[in-house]
Amino acid sequence: MSALTSLAQLRAAVDGIAQPLATVRHCHVAEAPLVLVPLKLAGEAAAPLAVLVGAARDDASLLVVPQPRNRDLRFQFAAEFAKLVLNHIETSRGGVEELPPGKDGDERIRYGDAPQLLVPNRGGVGFLRLLGRSTRFRSTEGPYAVDPAVPVLGRWLTWFADRYDHPGSSLLRAMTEVLRLHWATGQSSLEDGNLAALLGWIDPPDGLDGPAAAARAEDPVTCPPAGPATDPTFDNEVLAPAIAAYDRSGGDHRAEERLRGAIAGQLEPTWELMWRAVGLLRALPEGASVPGRWERDRDAFTYYHQTFGEAYPQARRDPPVRAARRLHDLERAQDAYDAQRAFDDPLVMAEYRLAGQAFGGVVTDCEPDRLDETGKRPKLRPHLRVGTADPVRLDVGTTVCNAARPALKGKIVELAAGSVLLELTGGMGRKLTAEPGSVPRPGERVCFTSLSEGSFGAAKFPDREDTPWTHGGPPEEYVPTDEDAEEEWS
Amino acid sequence: MPRSPGLPTPDALEARIAELRAAVRRAAAAGDRRSARDLRADLRLAERQWDDAVLGAEDGTGEPVRDDDDDDGERDEGGDRPQPARDEAPGRERGARAGTKAGRGLLPVREQVHQALTLLGAPAAPKLVGSVYAAFFPGEIAASRLTSLRRDEERSFRTAPYARPYYLCAALTADLLAPARGLLTVSTWPLERRIVGPLSPRTDFLTAAVRLAEHAGRAAPTPDVQRLLWRFASNIPGAVTGTVGTVEPADLAAAARAELDVHREPDRRGRASAAGRARARLDDAERLFGSRLRALNTSTRRRATTGETDR
Amino acid sequence: MTETAPDLDRLRGGAPPRNHDARTIAALTANPGCARRGVMDAAGVDKDAVARELGFPSPFGQSQFAITRGNAFEAQVKADGCAELLTLLRDGLGLAVPEVAYDDLEVVAGNEGRELRHARTRRLLARALESGEGTLFDHPLLRLEIAGQLAYLEPDVIAFQLAGRLHVIEIKSFAVVDGQAEPEQVAAAARQSAVYVLALRRLVSELGHDPARVSHEVFLVCPENFSNRPVAAPLDVRPQLAVLERQLARLTRIDRILDALPGDLTFGPGAALADAVRTVEARYAPECMAGCEMAFFCRDEARACGATGALGRSVRDDLGGVDTIGTALALADGSLDPSDDLAETAAQLRTAARLRDEALAAVRAETLAGAPTPEARGARDGAA
Repeated sequence: MSALTSLAQLRAAVDGIAQPLATVRHCHVAEAPLVLVPLKLAGEAAAPLAVLVGAARDDASLLVVPQPRNRDLRFQFAAEFAKLVLNHIETSRGGVEELPPGKDGDERIRYGDAPQLLVPNRGGVGFLRLLGRSTRFRSTEGPYAVDPAVPVLGRWLTWFADRYDHPGSSLLRAMTEVLRLHWATGQSSLEDGNLAALLGWIDPPDGLDGPAAAARAEDPVTCPPAGPATDPTFDNEVLAPAIAAYDRSGGDHRAEERLRGAIAGQLEPTWELMWRAVGLLRALPEGASVPGRWERDRDAFTYYHQTFGEAYPQARRDPPVRAARRLHDLERAQDAYDAQRAFDDPLVMAEYRLAGQAFGGVVTDCEPDRLDETGKRPKLRPHLRVGTADPVRLDVGTTVCNAARPALKGKIVELAAGSVLLELTGGMGRKLTAEPGSVPRPGERVCFTSLSEGSFGAAKFPDREDTPWTHGGPPEEYVPTDEDAEEEWS
Repeated sequence: MPRSPGLPTPDALEARIAELRAAVRRAAAAGDRRSARDLRADLRLAERQWDDAVLGAEDGTGEPVRDDDDDDGERDEGGDRPQPARDEAPGRERGARAGTKAGRGLLPVREQVHQALTLLGAPAAPKLVGSVYAAFFPGEIAASRLTSLRRDEERSFRTAPYARPYYLCAALTADLLAPARGLLTVSTWPLERRIVGPLSPRTDFLTAAVRLAEHAGRAAPTPDVQRLLWRFASNIPGAVTGTVGTVEPADLAAAARAELDVHREPDRRGRASAAGRARARLDDAERLFGSRLRALNTSTRRRATTGETDR
Repeated sequence: MTETAPDLDRLRGGAPPRNHDARTIAALTANPGCARRGVMDAAGVDKDAVARELGFPSPFGQSQFAITRGNAFEAQVKADGCAELLTLLRDGLGLAVPEVAYDDLEVVAGNEGRELRHARTRRLLARALESGEGTLFDHPLLRLEIAGQLAYLEPDVIAFQLAGRLHVIEIKSFAVVDGQAEPEQVAAAARQSAVYVLALRRLVSELGHDPARVSHEVFLVCPENFSNRPVAAPLDVRPQLAVLERQLARLTRIDRILDALPGDLTFGPGAALADAVRTVEARYAPECMAGCEMAFFCRDEARACGATGALGRSVRDDLGGVDTIGTALALADGSLDPSDDLAETAAQLRTAARLRDEALAAVRAETLAGAPTPEARGARDGAA
C-alpha cells in the first residue's frame, strides 16, 4: 500500500466506481482455465460439501457430498473430483517444445501449455491445500482403500497450492487477489475479500453504482458467499434440514436432489462472477513479462508432470535445507515479480517514483558522444540531464536503468533541485558512438529507476546430506509410512 | 399421484421455496423467532409439494421428510442460537444398522441399560452404556430413550417404592450427595459404588476396562468390541501391546489393574465416608436419586452485579 | 468503585447488564480508542439489540454444524473421566499417574446459580493452592472486574493443577494440521485464554496467594490433522495478557468519558436511539466487523461522513492521518491549502496525484495512437 493506492481508493469512493491500479494485466489467463468454487462443511477442517468446477462458463459440473460427515461419501466425492481435475491437467499440456540440452547434456523439454486453476478467494486456495493434504497419503489398497485417482489428486493439489505461494505464478490464483492487483475500490481490503462486492465496484450491474452493488453483495441471502465457508443461516435453515432429510431417507434420490438444488443455488452466483472476472481480466492488455513468467510456470509443471511417477507424495513438512532454499526462491521471485510489473506498467512504476526509487521527466541536455578517456582505452559515457519534479531518493553513484528499455544503464553523477545528471554506461552498442536511437534526445520523456530484475543472485545451499547439525543434521529420506496412509479422516 | 387442479406448478413452487428460504433466513438473522417458525412450516410444506410434483411420491419416503417439523420445534425453544443436533451424524456403522429395527425392540430400554451397567460394574455415562451394549449385546439402545430414563425411574420409585427389583438411578456426588451429571447407576449396587468423588471417574474407567477386557477375553472379540477396548487401552499406560487399533484383552486388564492399584485406596476412603453421610442424612429416594438444593434456585435469577456482596 | 454505576444503569435504559464472556472481554482490547464501544461495554449495554433496533443487525450467527462439532469434540476429550485429556497430559507434560482427580464445577448439587458455583470454585481452588489437592477443575466460574462492574465468566475450560501451579486448558475444535492451525483461530483462542488466566490470577491473589501461580502458558487441545484424535499445544499468552490488563485499566476510567456526555443520555429503545448513539464518538475501522455488534452502524456513519478510516487503517496512515476523503482529495488537487502540520502530507498527496495522472495519461495517449501491442513492448528488451 502507498499513498498512490490510497489515493485511487479515495477517488473510487468519491466516484462510486473502482479505479485502475494497473494499465496492463499482470497475470496469465489461460484460454480455458479450470474454475473451481468449493464449499466445505462449517466446523470441519476440510470436509468438502460441494464444488462447482469446469473449464468453460457453460460447462459446470456440480459435485456434492450429501452427508459430509460420512467418510465413504467423502472419498467418493474425492474420486469424482479427482477425475475432473486430473483430466483437465492431462488435456492442458499442449505440444512439447524441445529445449537446448542442459549443462550435463540432459534432454530438456517444456510443455506448450499448463493447467490454470482459478478459485474465488484465498480461502479457496486454503481449502484445496487442505484437501490435498488430506488425500495425498491415502492408500489404494488395504482396509481403507480409496480410488487410485484420490492420492494423485492430493499430490497435484498440494503442488498447485505450493506454486500459489510463488510470487508471479499463475497456475493457481485467487480471483479476489488478482482483481485487487488491478483495481482499487472505495471499500476496505476486508470488504474486498467478498468477490461479489469487489466485482460490484469494478463492474456494477446495470442501474447500480459501486457502493450500491457492494451493499447488495453483502446480503448473504441475495448474494451467497463465495465459499469455502457457507452462510450460517443457510446452514441452519436450508442445509441442515436437507442433510437430515437425506440421512433419514437412507440415500433417497429425492432428498439428494433437493440437497443438490439448494447447494447449486449457493454456488451458481459465484460461478457467474468468476467468469465475469475472467472476462474483465482478458480485456486488459497483457503485461510484457507475463509470457515469461508463464514460461516458468510451464517449466515447473513440465518438471512435476515428468517426475510424478518416480516421486513420493510431498512430505508433511519440508526438511531444513529444502525449506531454506524454498524461502530464498520465494524472496527472489518476489523481487523479480515486483520489478517486472514496474517495468511493464507505468502506473506501477509511479509507486517507485513516489517512493523516490525512480524518477521521470523530460531530457533537458544530452551529450550523446561524450567519451571517458581517463582509462587505458576510451569508453563511451554519454551525459544525460533529466528534469524531474519527482522526490528522488537515490544517491550519487547509484546505478539506474531506463524503465522503457532496461538495457540502457547509467550512473547518477549529480543531483540538483529539479534535475538529475546521468552518465550512461551501457546498452548503447559496442562502438564509441552510440547506436542510433539508443540515447534519449532532449525533449524526450524518460523514466529511470534503480530497480532491476533479479537483483540478488541464487544463494548456495548445502546438499541434504550436508545439512548442518544446527538444523538437525541430514534428515532421513522421506518415505511415506503406513501411518500416513491410514491416518483417519473422520 | 394425479395433481389436483388447485396445486401450484413446479415453477411456482420453486419460486415460492426460494422466497421462503430467503424469508426464513432473514427472520432467523434478525432474531425474529416467531416468524421464523411460521415461515419454516410454510417452507417444509412447499418443499413437500415440490417433491410430489417434480420427483413423484415414492413408497416409504413420505414419513422421513415429515420429521423435519420436530427438529424445528426444538430449535425454537432453544434461544437465539440454533441448538446443535443432539446426536452425532450417523457414522458408517450406525447408518448401516439403522434399518435393523428388529434388533432394537427385543428388550425394554431399561433392561438393556441394566445389562450394560451390570457388565460395566461402575457408574457410566449414557454414551458409554450405549457403546457397551452395541458391542456386547444384540441390537442397540435408542439414544433418544436414555434422556428421560432417569426421570421416569425416579417417578416410578416415588409412586411405588421398591416395586421393581431394580431401578436405574443417579450416581451421587461425594461432597453434596447430589445427583452427578450424566452418570447412570443401578439401585442394587452398594452406596459406595454409586457415590463418585474426584478420583472416581478414573477408577470407574479403569474398573470398567478390567471387566470389559475379562468379558471380551472369553471369546474372539468382534470388530465392535475391539473398537471399544481400543478406546480404553489407548488411554491406559502400558495397555497397548500390539499394533495400533488392536487390543490384547489380558494385557488391557493387567494394565488397568496396575493403575487401579494407585487410585483404589484413596478413592475408596472418600466414597466410604460419603456413603456414611448419605446413610445418615438421606431418605430412601434421595439415596437413589440424590438430594437437590432446591431452595437456592431463586438466587440463580439474580444478575451479575449483585455478586459483589459475597466478596 | 461504584460511583459511576447509576450513570451506567441509566445508559442501559433500565435493561439488565449484558453478561460478559471471554469473547466479549477479549474484544474490549480490539479497538481501545473507541469511546462509543468503551461506554456501551462498560455499561453492559446489549449492543446486539441496539444495533438491531437501529436497523443494522450484526451478522454474528453460528452454523449449527460448527456448534455440533465443537460440542462433540469437547465431550469426547472429557469423556470417561477425561481419559483422553489425561493421556495427553501424561504423555506431553509428564503428569504423574496418581494425578487424576476431576472436579466438575459446572453444577453445584443440581444448581447452576453463579454465586454458588463461584463460591465452590473458590473453595476448591483455595484448597488446591493450600494442599495441592485436585488436578482437573472443569468449568470453573470466575469473576473479573470490568469498568467497576463485576462480570462473571463461564470459561469453557479446565483449570489444571500441576506441581502447585494452575494452567488453563482450552478445548477447541479447529484442526491442527501437521503442527499448524489457522493463525486467526489460534490468535482468538489466545486472547480468550488470556482473559481466563487473568481472572484466575485475580482469584488466586484474592485467596492470598502469588498470582504467578497461574501459568501464562495455556494448553490448547485441538483435533489433530483430519481426525478426532486430540493433540495438546502449549500457548504463551503473555502478550495478550499485557494488552488485556492495559485495556481493562483504561476501561475503569470510563467516568471521564461519562462526564463529558449529556446527563440524560440513554441507549434504551426509541426514536432518539440513533442520536443518542451518535453522541458518543466512535472510532470505526474495518477490523471492528470481526468483533463488535455495532460495526455496521458505525461503518455506515463513517462512510456517510467520508471518513478515511472506513477504507482501512493503512489508508488512513498513508494519508498522514487526514480524516476525511474530501480533505485528502482537496489537498491532492491543490484546491485546499494545507495547514503547517499537513504540509508534508499535502506535498506527498500532490505528487501522488500528479504521478498517477501522468501514468494514466501516457497509457491513454498510447492507446489512442494505436501504439505498442504487448508483442511490440516485449521486443524492447531484446534491443539490448
